[in-house]
Amino acid sequence: MLIYSQPLELTKLLAAIDNFLQGHLSPGWAVPVKGILVGILLLAAYAIIALALIYIERKVAAFFQARLGPNRLGKYGTIQSLADMIKILIKEVIHIRKADKLLFYAAPFFVIVASVLAFGALPFGINLHALDFNIGVFYLLAVSSLGIIGILLAGWSSNNKYSMIGAMRSGAQFISYELSAGFSLMTIVVLSGSMQFSEIIEGQRYCWNLFNGHLPAMIAFVIYLISGHAETNRGPFDLPEAESELTAGYHTEYSGLQFSFFYLSEYLNMFIVAAVAATVFLGGWMPVQIKGWEAFNQVMWYIPSWAWFFGKAGLLMFFSLWVRWSFPRLRIDLLLNLEWKYLLPINLANLLVMVVIVLSGFTLTDLFPALFGK
Amino acid sequence: MKFIQYIGGIFTALRSLAGGMIVTWKELLTPKVTMEYPENRKTLVISDRWRSELIMPHDENNEHACTACGICMINCPNGTIQVTSSSIDTEDGKKKKILDKHLWDYGSCTFCNLCVITCPSDAIIFNNDFEGALFDRSKLLHRLNHEGSKLRDRKKEASTLDTSAKKENKEA
Amino acid sequence: MNNRDETDKTMMDITQIIQRIAPDAQIEERQKLTVTVKPGQLHRVVEALYRNEELPFDYLVSLTGMDWGETLGVIYQFSSSADLTQEVVIMTATADRENPLLYSITDFYETAHLNEREVYALFGIRFINNPDMRRFLLNDQWKGFPFRKDYKHDAGLNPVTVISSEIVDLAPCIRETAGGKLIEENNPVFDAEDYIVNIGPQHPSTHGVMHFRTSLDGEIVKKVDVHSGYIHRGIEKLCESMTYPQMLHLTDRLDYLSANINRHALCICIEKAAEIEVPERALYIRTIMDELQRISSHLLAWATHCNDLGATTAFIYGMREREHILDIFDKTCGGRLIINQNVVGGVMFDLYPDFQKDVKAFIPYMRGRLKEYDNFFSHNAIALGRMVHIGLLSREDAISYGVTGPAGRASGWSCDVRRYKPYALYDRVEFKEIVRTEGDSYARYLNRLNEIAESLHIIEQLIDNIPSGEICAKVKPIIRVPAGQFFQSVETGKGEFGVFIESNGDKNPYRVKFRSPSLSAVSVIPLICKGAFLSDLIGITGSMDFVIPDIDR
Repeated sequence: MLIYSQPLELTKLLAAIDNFLQGHLSPGWAVPVKGILVGILLLAAYAIIALALIYIERKVAAFFQARLGPNRLGKYGTIQSLADMIKILIKEVIHIRKADKLLFYAAPFFVIVASVLAFGALPFGINLHALDFNIGVFYLLAVSSLGIIGILLAGWSSNNKYSMIGAMRSGAQFISYELSAGFSLMTIVVLSGSMQFSEIIEGQRYCWNLFNGHLPAMIAFVIYLISGHAETNRGPFDLPEAESELTAGYHTEYSGLQFSFFYLSEYLNMFIVAAVAATVFLGGWMPVQIKGWEAFNQVMWYIPSWAWFFGKAGLLMFFSLWVRWSFPRLRIDLLLNLEWKYLLPINLANLLVMVVIVLSGFTLTDLFPALFGK
Repeated sequence: MKFIQYIGGIFTALRSLAGGMIVTWKELLTPKVTMEYPENRKTLVISDRWRSELIMPHDENNEHACTACGICMINCPNGTIQVTSSSIDTEDGKKKKILDKHLWDYGSCTFCNLCVITCPSDAIIFNNDFEGALFDRSKLLHRLNHEGSKLRDRKKEASTLDTSAKKENKEA
Repeated sequence: MNNRDETDKTMMDITQIIQRIAPDAQIEERQKLTVTVKPGQLHRVVEALYRNEELPFDYLVSLTGMDWGETLGVIYQFSSSADLTQEVVIMTATADRENPLLYSITDFYETAHLNEREVYALFGIRFINNPDMRRFLLNDQWKGFPFRKDYKHDAGLNPVTVISSEIVDLAPCIRETAGGKLIEENNPVFDAEDYIVNIGPQHPSTHGVMHFRTSLDGEIVKKVDVHSGYIHRGIEKLCESMTYPQMLHLTDRLDYLSANINRHALCICIEKAAEIEVPERALYIRTIMDELQRISSHLLAWATHCNDLGATTAFIYGMREREHILDIFDKTCGGRLIINQNVVGGVMFDLYPDFQKDVKAFIPYMRGRLKEYDNFFSHNAIALGRMVHIGLLSREDAISYGVTGPAGRASGWSCDVRRYKPYALYDRVEFKEIVRTEGDSYARYLNRLNEIAESLHIIEQLIDNIPSGEICAKVKPIIRVPAGQFFQSVETGKGEFGVFIESNGDKNPYRVKFRSPSLSAVSVIPLICKGAFLSDLIGITGSMDFVIPDIDR
C-alpha cells in the first residue's frame, strides 16, 4: 500500500491517544478505558449525526416543497435541532394507563440499541473502525434486524389500535425487505469474496464494486437502496407510521424521550443504510483512485477518508430524501407485491448471474487488469 | 409475452417515478415564494380592501360622521356592534340624538361588511391593520368614537369626508 | 320551444300518474311542480315516480324536514338523473306532534338514510322502515328537537358536558310487518366481536371533525359507520332569525372552500323570489369569481387527496397555486377564505383595476402547473396503484346516493348544474362537462384536474368582455321575499348545492335548507369502502372531497 501524506486524517491523533493510554495505564486498564472512550465517542457521534440529519432532512424537504424550512433559530435555523432536542428532553413522558408497562418502556431501547450496534460496526475512515470482523456484513444485517422487535413490542404494548396496525405492517414489511437487502449484499459478497468491511473497501481501490460487477452489481445496488429505504420505514414505505392513516403508527402513544428514541433511530437507520451502501458499492472511505495517475491519487488522498465516507453516504441520503419527498405512500399489498413479485425474484436471478460472472471472470477487474486490477 | 409485460411494467413504473422526481428536483432549485412575516413587515403589502378592524374615521377637529342612527347595530348578524346615544337639545330648540359610545367587539365580528355598506353616513370603515393579537380578551371590545369627539357638520365638509377617511385609514 | 313542449308533456304525465295513485293529492304549479300528499300515500307516490319508465325520478335532490306550526312534515325534491331540469316537489305532513311517523323512502333512495336521520334529530319525525333511526348530527342524549318552532332554547336542558359518553352502537328502527303492524326493534350496528377503530373525529385525514367508526378485518374494512355533527352549528335554524342580507354571511361558513358559490346560490334564490334584476357587470363578476373559487376548491381537493395518499409535497404544491387565487380574492373583496363578495342584487365590491391583468397572468401559469401535476402525480406508478380501480362507485349508486359534482361525473352521471340549469352567465359560455365512466378514485382525481382546465377556459372567455356599469341593483334596505317556496341549485366545487327558502312574506325566512353535496359524498363512503384496505379508506375519502362544515351545517 502506498502511503501518501494525509494531513487531515485522524490516524495520528488516535495513535497518540493510544500511546498515551498505553504509557500511563497498565495493559489490564488500557483496553477497558479505550473501550469506554470508543463507546462514548460512538454515542456522541450517533446523537450528533442524528441531529444534523434531522436538520438536513427538514431543510431539504422544505426546499423540495417550495418552503424555506426551519429559519428561526440561528442563521438559517441551524440550531433548530438542538432546540428540539432540549425540548424533547424536558418533555413529560406520558404514562399510558392500560399499556403493558414493561414492554412499553423496553420497546424504544430495543430499537435504539439495535441501531447503535449497527452504527458501531461501520468503517468511518482509515482505522476509524470500532469493530472489523471477518463477518462484518453478516453482523450488520443481524443486529439491524433486532430493531423490529422493538417496533412490534411498541405497537403491541401501547394498547392502541393504530399502534397495533402500524406494528403489524412494520413486521410484514421488515421481514420481507430484509430478504432483499440480505440478498443484494450477498451479491456483493460474492463479488468481493469477503464479508470483512476493510477487505471489501480495499478491494475497491481502483474500481468500485458498483462498476466492477457492472449489470448485476447495479441491479443489486438499486435493490439494496429500495429495500434499505423500506427497512427504515421512510419515504414511500412509511406504512408503519403512515401519518395520514394511522396518525403516528407504532409510536402514537410515545412521548418525550421515549419518542425521541424512535425518532433518532429512524434517522440513524437511514444513515446506516446509506453508509453500508456507500461502503459496499461505492468504495466506502476509499478516495477515488485511478491506476497509474499517481499525482491525481495523491491529491485525492489529501481529502481525508472520513470525508469521503460521509460524502458518499450523504449523497445516498440525499437521494433517499429526494425519493421520500417525491412519492406517495404504497399500500401494504402493493408493498408486498413489490418485494415478493419483483425484488426477490430479480434478486435471486441477479445473485446467480453474479456468481456466473465472477466464476467466468467477467468482472471489470478480471477483464481489464491493467486499468482496474489490484 | 407475460415476461415482456413484466419487464415492461418495471420500466414504465420507473419512468413515471423519474418524472415525479424531476418535478421535485426543479422545485428544489426554484427560489421560494415564502413570505417571512415579521422580517418583511416594512415591505408587506396588504390589499386596500382587507377587512381587519372596524374604525370610525375622525378628522383633525376630532369630528366623526356617525349620527348614532343604529343601523349598523340592527344589521349586524351577530350583535357585534352596540351603539348608545343620548338626546340633547340643539340651539334651535330641536331634539337631536348624539353618539355616546360606539362599541364594536373584535372577538365576535365575522367581517361581513354589512355595517359598512349599510351605514347611511359612511361613518365607519374597516382598516387593514391586521395585527390584532392581544393578551386580554376584554381588550377586544373597541370603542370606535374618540373621547370628546362630536358629529361633523354635514354641510360644512361633505366633500372632504372621503379624503379624510382615507387618510385616517392609511395612518391606522 | 320544442323542448319546452316536451317538458310540459312529461309533467302532464307525472300529474296523471300522481293523480291515479293519490286522487286527492293537491297539485300546484309553483316555482316547481308541487304535490301535497297524505302521509299514507307518500310511499306509493314516490314509488310511482321512481319507477316511472319514461322519466324515472331516481334522484332525491333534497329531503327537508318542516314544522308548519300545527303539522310536521317533509318536503322531498326529486329530479331525474337523465335530465336535471325535470323536478317534482312532494310535500307531506302529519298532525301528530307527539309521535310523528312517516314512511321512509330509503328503499328507493340511499341518500334518504342520513337525511331522514337528520330530520329525526332536528324535528323528531321518525320514519317507518328506515333500518337505522339513530339521530344524525345530534348526540343520542339530546333532549328536544331543536328545529321545531316550539323548541325552547334552554342551556339547562342540554348542558355542555365534558365527560364523553360511550357510543352505543344500537340502531333503533320501526318496522312494519307484512300484516301492517308496527314493531320497534334495536339493530346492532356492529357484530360483537368486530375490531372497531375510530377514525376521527380527531384524525389527520378526515379533513375536519368527521368520525368514521370502522370495523376491520386485518387491514380490510368490513363496515364504516358515519358519525357526524361535531361541527353542527344549526345554521339553518340561525337563518330563521336573521334577515336575508344577514343570512348571507353564514353560507360562506358551510363549504368554506366554495364559499363564494354557496353565497351565490342564496343570492340567486332571494333575487328570483323577490324579482330583483342583477346588473350585467355583476353577473360577469360573479361567474368569474365562482370559477376562480372552483379552481381553488379543486386545487385544495387535489392537494389533500395527494396528501392522504402520502405525498405531502403535492399538498404544498396545491397550496402554492391556490395562494395566487386567494391573493386575487384578497385584492377584490378583502377576504381570502370567506370573501363576502355576493350580496342580494349584485356584488359588494367592484373589481380592482389590475384584476384582469392578474387573472390573465394566472391562466397560463395554472396551465403550466397542471402539466407539472400530471408529471408529478397523475402518471406516478405508486399513485396509480393507489387510485385505479379503488373505491368503485357505479352510476346507479352515485344517483341513488345523490353524489354529484366531480365525483358523480366520474361515475358517468352527467350532473353539472351549470349545464342543466344555467345561472349567471353559464348559458353564454362554452365549456365541456367532464364525464368519465370508470367510477374509481382515479377518475374522480382526473375529473378535478380537467375541471380546473375547463374553469380556466370559462374565465378566458369572460375576462376581456366584462361590461361596465352598476355592480349592484338597487334593493330596498329591508328585503322581503314573497310568501312561497323557493329553490335554487348551483354547482359548487363539490357538487350540487341547493338552497330552499320557505317564506311567509316576512323579512325573515320561515325555513331555510341547504342541500349539501358533501353529505351525499360522505354517505356513500360505507358503500365504496367496504372490502377496501384501511389505507384506501383514507384515499377514497380524499377522492370524494367533502368538507365537514358543509355536512353538519
